[in-house]
Amino acid sequence: MLKVENLTKVYPNGTVALRDVSFQVPDGEFLAVIGLSGSGKSTLLRCINRIIEPTSGRIILDGVDLTALPPSEMRKQRRQIGMVFQQFNLVKRSSVLTNVLAGRLGYLPSYMSLANHFPAADHETALKTLARLGLEDKAHVRADSLSGGQQQRVGIARALMQDPKLILADEPVASLDPVLSHSIMKHLEACNKEDGITILCSLHFLDLVHRYATSAIGLKGGQLVFQGLPQEIDDAQFKEIFGQEAERVTIL
Amino acid sequence: MNMLTAKPTKAPRNAGVAAALSLVVPGAGQFYLGMRQRAAAILGVVLGLGVLIQWVFADLGVGEVTWGSLTTSWLWALLALLWLWNVADAYGRARGRRSADAVGVLLALVIVYYIGWQVTDANLERLFSRFEDVKGVLNALVHPDLVARDELGAWRPSENFGDLVGKIVHKPASGLLVALGLVREGALVPALVPGKLLETIAIGLMATLFSAVLALPLSFAAAHNIMSRVPGGAVIYQVMRGVLNVVRAIDTLIWGILIVVWVGLGSFAGVLALTIHSIAALGKLYSEEIEHIDPGPVEALTATGAGLLQTIRYAVIPQIVPPFLAFTLLRWDINMRMATVVGVVAGGGIGFFVVETIRKGGYEQYAAALWLVALVIILVDYVSARWRERILVGEVLTDKRAPRPLARAARTALMAALLLAFFAASWSLSQIDLRKLFEPAPTFWQVVGDFVTIDVSPAVLQVVSRQMLITVFQALIATTLGALAAIPFSFLAARNLLGDSPVGKAAYYATRALLNFLRSIEALLYVAIFVFWVGIGPFAGMLSLAITSFALVGKLFSEAIENIDPGPLEAITAAGGTRLQSVMYAILPQIIPPFISYVIYQWDINVRVSTIVGFAGGGGVGLLLNNYFGMLQYHKAGTVVAMIVIVVTVMDFASAKIRERLV
Repeated sequence: MLKVENLTKVYPNGTVALRDVSFQVPDGEFLAVIGLSGSGKSTLLRCINRIIEPTSGRIILDGVDLTALPPSEMRKQRRQIGMVFQQFNLVKRSSVLTNVLAGRLGYLPSYMSLANHFPAADHETALKTLARLGLEDKAHVRADSLSGGQQQRVGIARALMQDPKLILADEPVASLDPVLSHSIMKHLEACNKEDGITILCSLHFLDLVHRYATSAIGLKGGQLVFQGLPQEIDDAQFKEIFGQEAERVTIL
Repeated sequence: MNMLTAKPTKAPRNAGVAAALSLVVPGAGQFYLGMRQRAAAILGVVLGLGVLIQWVFADLGVGEVTWGSLTTSWLWALLALLWLWNVADAYGRARGRRSADAVGVLLALVIVYYIGWQVTDANLERLFSRFEDVKGVLNALVHPDLVARDELGAWRPSENFGDLVGKIVHKPASGLLVALGLVREGALVPALVPGKLLETIAIGLMATLFSAVLALPLSFAAAHNIMSRVPGGAVIYQVMRGVLNVVRAIDTLIWGILIVVWVGLGSFAGVLALTIHSIAALGKLYSEEIEHIDPGPVEALTATGAGLLQTIRYAVIPQIVPPFLAFTLLRWDINMRMATVVGVVAGGGIGFFVVETIRKGGYEQYAAALWLVALVIILVDYVSARWRERILVGEVLTDKRAPRPLARAARTALMAALLLAFFAASWSLSQIDLRKLFEPAPTFWQVVGDFVTIDVSPAVLQVVSRQMLITVFQALIATTLGALAAIPFSFLAARNLLGDSPVGKAAYYATRALLNFLRSIEALLYVAIFVFWVGIGPFAGMLSLAITSFALVGKLFSEAIENIDPGPLEAITAAGGTRLQSVMYAILPQIIPPFISYVIYQWDINVRVSTIVGFAGGGGVGLLLNNYFGMLQYHKAGTVVAMIVIVVTVMDFASAKIRERLV
């Protein structure tokens, strides 16, 4: 169970990115976070694993108050929170395998991992995870030689290597062709359904929300303006979240 | 009133008031009209020129005229004209007219260049009147002492060639060869005695290697994005950046003088001087590269719970390896050039050889050194550029599993062995002796103490700032002359303008070859020729700088021309324009901003180099520094170095800011 209580984030330049946001995510949910660019979706996801330090409010994961932890304890907590990024954030010049193994770094002592040496068990898991994502033949290829969709699958593999309870996916399909979006979303859905990983995923397209999410929240100008089931987002709700000018678009 | 012609009207301003204000304080009228930048520029220029005119008149008697009982500088008349222009400008602007900026700029430039010409003691007439004397030297330049006839009349490498490159001597065989049964006891075997050129190459290589290894950790401490994640990192960052900037502002040769006090004359001093300066230069480049990495992977690894060291290892290092290698290769090129001159002060290498031969009047030997230096530097320049291109454009490896692991391992082992042998040879050639580092000369700490407690008495400050002024103007005039001469040549060295006709190709290759040859020899090595030609002093240094500026600016200009957008050129040609018209309308508008930017950049470089041309008789602060060191007046030498650091840093900062605005 993830509880977000009265979360507020004010950037040093005075921008209020999140204003008193509270919600709960029961285990096993696939929660869609929707809203316009700049509505605070990315900030919200990054506040949960404290890549961005919240200004006030609390993040409670399975009874542990993450916002109260010292940095070393926070690092340990991050191991169970995977993250998937819009720009994939792979190390382009490293091999796919090294990128995937990097997901294990939180579990390894520094001195061992600095020489690019990972335990044999991790190697095995990495290859299995790649196979699961359909990339078994790409392990020794440089990351930047892959297509966008393949790179995002590597990103998911890296998150899965952490053996996470929760995955934060920040616009995972926004940089991809619409055709590839479904493939990536299906992999996330599999993580959710088969492994029981809770997923928080920010999305642009309502179609994808309807199809994959089990619940949804809407942000506008840093405030929570919607909380409910995806099916409940009717035209009025839509205009509330995206503004009067917005039009619904569909992809494939 | 017609809507279309209605304009937002400003509050009406009185032209008479504007002119009157500008008459009292230059720029005040423009300020009153709301043109703040223009006002500040006018006030700054008038005040600056006023200070400059008074300074060079009082200190060096520049522009002195006697008028009855009054002795003053006639440059005041020009400044008065500039002042009047500013009044007319305020009046005209208030009435909505654009006055001729060119008049004001021209007046200011005339003042600056007149002063520059005078303080650098420039006298073109001497170039011609003394030409007869220098003919011998120029003649020697085309007859370098590289080959000689032996008794039988056959051509052989001369004695001088042996001194420079290396010679084969027959020595008694070593115990090892005897023990192996290869030769008899006491037999003579040929052995290579390396010459000054090989020594120079070794100095450049060792310095590059040492500085790359040492700059690596320092660059992380000078990278903002790394230090912001470390407790207390902000302080480390600021200190590191400051130290790197100060060390970089002091030229390699000035480090050379200091190091000689520490470890004594010789190649090792040269290696150390080059290493210190390169650490700072590379540290800056490396740290900027670290700051410009893609932050995505760093964020991703932080999100997995990886620690700082792990994040650096897996997210930062893979990204910075190619640019680091490229910068190191670039530095190798620069270090090879500096290695050819560091011997002038530090001993060792070809710089030392040049000083010695010039002293003996051996111009043919000096010429041989120049030709060989050019050869080596052009080669290094080419190799370094090719490797950099290969590294940055980058190979995409598709499969890391090697097909023939045995062959590959053997090749790797062979390469490693070769590199190791090369390293060992360079180590011994450049006479590296780390023990000397810990056994400085007994007076060393005394010298350092004197050096740090600089002499700020007014008399010393006056002498030092006078020489600094000469140095800055020397750089300015040299840059201007070099750039003016480079303009026509840069068109001849641009492939896209010359076309594919045989004449065009010949002109292209000839111009490129000339520019590359001139560029491969450091200004300090040219000074010897000009000292002989026009005499010791800032004029000789200025001419040497002008030659290297001509070559470098010519190269940069021609590359700027080659990089223009060909669209407009095509359009003018399609419209039936001539070659000259297309230059005027399609090329010039595109290349003027980069040209100005390169000229300012070159001035910045020249200020650095002109601080050292004095070591070989080129005048300016270098001469002063050399004298103070010679007379063991280290307090005063410290003053000179402090002044250099300030001026170079200011120039560096100003030039970067101006170029940023131009591009």
